[in-house]
Amino acid sequence: MKDQIFASSLRKKIFLAIIFIIFTGFIFELSKMQILEYKDYKRKASNNSIKKIPVKAPRGIFFDRNFSVLVSNKPSYTLEITPAIYDTSKNKILEKILGEKKDFIKNILYKKREYSKYLSRVIKRNISFKDVVWFEEHQEEFPGVKISVEMQRDYSFGINGSHIFGYLREINAQQLKKKKDYNMGDYIGVQGAEKTYEEHLRGKNGYHYILVDSKRKSIGKYLEGKNDMPPRKGDDLLFTIDYETQKKAEELFKNLKGSLVAIEPSSGEILAFVSAPQFNLQKFASFTSRSYIKKLSIDENKPLFNRASKSIYPPGSTYKMLLALLGLKEHIVDNNYAVVCKGGYKFGNRFFRCTHIHGYTNLTKAIEQSCNTFFYKLILDVGLQKWSLFSKQFGFGKKTGFDLGNESAGIVPDKNYYNRVYGRRRWGKGTLLSLAIGQGELSVTTLQLAQYAALLANYGKTKVPHIVKAFLVGNTSLYVPIKFETVSNNLPKMYYDEIRSAMLKVVESKEGTAHNIKLPDIKIAGKTGTSQNPHGKDHAVFIAFAPYQHPKIAVAVLVENAGFGGQHAAPIAQKIIRTYLKSLNNNNTIL
Amino acid sequence: MKSSYNLSDKFDFSVFLPVIFLIIIGLVGIYSATNNNPTAHGAFLKQSVMAIVAVSVFFIAYFLPVRIIRIMTIYTYIFSLIILVAVLLVGKTVYGAKSWINIGPIGFQPSEFAKIGFIFIIAYLLTSDKRNPNKVKDFLILILYSLIPILLILFEPDMGTVLIYVSILMALLFWSGIDLFYVFVTLSPGFVLFSSFFGKAAFILAMIVVFVLLLYFKKNIFINISILIINMSAAYLFDFAYRFLKPHQQKRIQTFINPTSDPLGAGYNILQAQLAIGSGGFWGKGFLKGNQTQLSFIPKQWTDFIFSVIGEEFGFIGSVLIVILFVIVFVRLLNIAGHTSNKFESLVIIGVLTLLITHFTINIGMNLGVAPVVGIPLPFLSYGGSSLIVNMFLLGIVMNFYKHRKEHI
Repeated sequence: MKDQIFASSLRKKIFLAIIFIIFTGFIFELSKMQILEYKDYKRKASNNSIKKIPVKAPRGIFFDRNFSVLVSNKPSYTLEITPAIYDTSKNKILEKILGEKKDFIKNILYKKREYSKYLSRVIKRNISFKDVVWFEEHQEEFPGVKISVEMQRDYSFGINGSHIFGYLREINAQQLKKKKDYNMGDYIGVQGAEKTYEEHLRGKNGYHYILVDSKRKSIGKYLEGKNDMPPRKGDDLLFTIDYETQKKAEELFKNLKGSLVAIEPSSGEILAFVSAPQFNLQKFASFTSRSYIKKLSIDENKPLFNRASKSIYPPGSTYKMLLALLGLKEHIVDNNYAVVCKGGYKFGNRFFRCTHIHGYTNLTKAIEQSCNTFFYKLILDVGLQKWSLFSKQFGFGKKTGFDLGNESAGIVPDKNYYNRVYGRRRWGKGTLLSLAIGQGELSVTTLQLAQYAALLANYGKTKVPHIVKAFLVGNTSLYVPIKFETVSNNLPKMYYDEIRSAMLKVVESKEGTAHNIKLPDIKIAGKTGTSQNPHGKDHAVFIAFAPYQHPKIAVAVLVENAGFGGQHAAPIAQKIIRTYLKSLNNNNTIL
Repeated sequence: MKSSYNLSDKFDFSVFLPVIFLIIIGLVGIYSATNNNPTAHGAFLKQSVMAIVAVSVFFIAYFLPVRIIRIMTIYTYIFSLIILVAVLLVGKTVYGAKSWINIGPIGFQPSEFAKIGFIFIIAYLLTSDKRNPNKVKDFLILILYSLIPILLILFEPDMGTVLIYVSILMALLFWSGIDLFYVFVTLSPGFVLFSSFFGKAAFILAMIVVFVLLLYFKKNIFINISILIINMSAAYLFDFAYRFLKPHQQKRIQTFINPTSDPLGAGYNILQAQLAIGSGGFWGKGFLKGNQTQLSFIPKQWTDFIFSVIGEEFGFIGSVLIVILFVIVFVRLLNIAGHTSNKFESLVIIGVLTLLITHFTINIGMNLGVAPVVGIPLPFLSYGGSSLIVNMFLLGIVMNFYKHRKEHI
């Protein structure tokens, strides 16, 4: 084919064909879009201009047992920029007002450049109210800049309670995959009550529909808000904590390492709960806590670790009452059962030391003056297997079921345990002697000790220790109590009477190991202990309950690396008891 | 053939009336799109004034003596080059391209005005008896003249307009009688490459088309095989080159092929325009009732996305009306070009026709989501004075040629 002719009819036909192809192509595409797929486009278009805006539900707040506020919420202001409509020449002024360095905004916008420029970026959280007012007044001059309000935790009520309350963190991508009902930017409880009661506290986010333009700028409500759904506020928590007692306990542990748990004996309600050192929840409130968490996690004192329910220690002599009760139950100990303490006990070719030379010692004196010799003999008479089983009845060697979780079961050794650790027949009865005085492999948590103290106080009957006792339902404030299971061991009351009176003597008698904490108006029953620590100075332990006749509080105190319990732990318990009973009186008179 | 043509007809209403109709539709669309938009107040009024100016320019061109038009050619070309250089030196940057010159309160786009000079000079070079585009030397001279303005626009950078210039050049070469085989050889790799964007099936189909055309040209087997290889490698080379592109460049290509891949970013405009048009349905949502348009979902919708305004508010009926009006104009222009015996005038008309067709195809194609987003306006409808005035001036010239066509017989 040879066609090199100007404006030939072939060329005209080719031109016409091109025009025809384009024409039919467009008509085809238009029919497809506007007739065949019309409904699909219509649905998409209406989704487009109507935007669903989530409204965050206020998180439930925390009350103490007398409805004093422990933790609440407060508004915090965040500056956001939408790059599509933002004028970068305003960077300088904004940086100056926010008190940030040069290129602060530029760097953030650069870091987040991958996202759609129609989505707003968080520039700075927690800006001051003064700046908020300034921006409101100058809004017109800063297109694409907006201030959004977020609720954050308010910890300004005098209680730190870091290990009780826990903290919140923005949900991360991994969690988001698992938890379908959360959105980007939502906060989630990480520890403590914030985590345990997350489902109650978070409430239910609402939403409203708005009409938006291409800049995602709201231009009014959709259908006057007919389809809007208001958020449901999270449930408030009613803690078992007593404000005054908790505050006192935190004060007393300010420069100490250790833990304290105080329990209302009959109900298992935790009145005070401290793990020291604490961490400062106020620093978490601002949501700029990443560096603070990092600092805490490398701190050698391990402030993030919950010492009250997670750390395990040998209970020391505080464990002696358990063995004594077992002796009574097994009818081994009677009025004539006694030892002559010559400052220790010879077993095989080893000599197990006592604290003093106690001479003739019966059960009461053995507890009052903490004689080891008496218990060395007793455990040999009782045997390991019975002792292990009996320990379980007091909640040792297993988790208590504490509502905040994050607890250790502790260790109560039995035959199998020793066979596993040392091998069959490679351990002798000598190992038992350490157990008799609460040392050796025996390990317990302070929480378990407090439960044990509660059982002793209340004649072997209490409830699972817990720190939250009820919800106040978000939108109705309906009071919904939480039920907890009973913990009991059916021992005759007379056995407890004997042990309790001996514990009273620990404080009341001049020879008692905790006589130093005797109060004129309150009868305290207690028991000192020293938890042997192979890594350093021993830990001081003390358990107690008061008032002796009708106990209202049982408490366990452990002070790390402090030495003897009577001297270092007992005064703390005494002050807690006094504070609580005083607070109880005050509240009773008010009510 | 030519005798059937009515020579006493000095004014072709079947070009003029559709164009006036299109301008009015454009004004309706601009009114609607800017109605609720505080940043574009006065756009409708300004464009109405521009429409009057443009129609006046049309008649000025219509009444210009043909002799002056001929003399004008070289000067318009030189003037075009001057303003294209000027814009690079003193131009204002809008949307990342330096394509505007402001003189006092009036701003204009030199690349729009330079189209006049470009069409004229190419038509002139192809008309000269001494020159034959099928000769290598003459062909190179032609390319040199075209390359200067094209490079200058490339510097702005304004890819959309470069595309228009290249199309005009090729259409004029084609019309002037360049060997169709050359056209085929140059265009087929581009065609295959473009098809390969849409997957393997489209690529194979394109290769079959190329093969059938090859048989039609009846060249020897060696040439046939080399051309097939060139075509094949065009697609593969693209695939290879694609890997070397920067992420944002890859993204732009991806967004064109699948706009939903980035609904709030680069694909946003295409997607929103498609939603507006599709949701218009058969009858449309009614004047000022298109919520996509009224809520200004598409930035600057009154410029490059004016078609989506009509598509939404006047539906299938409105959209098809626009397409038909354009096609009437195109077919008429082609007929006039075919019937004009003066080579220069015929070529100018084809240049104008190509200018309009490419604008039309790329702009509506982009609105429908079948062509990539390149910022070029829809002739007669889009907001903007430069484009409207230039288009009306060129149509006036065409009508002028039409009026005088009997003088050449």
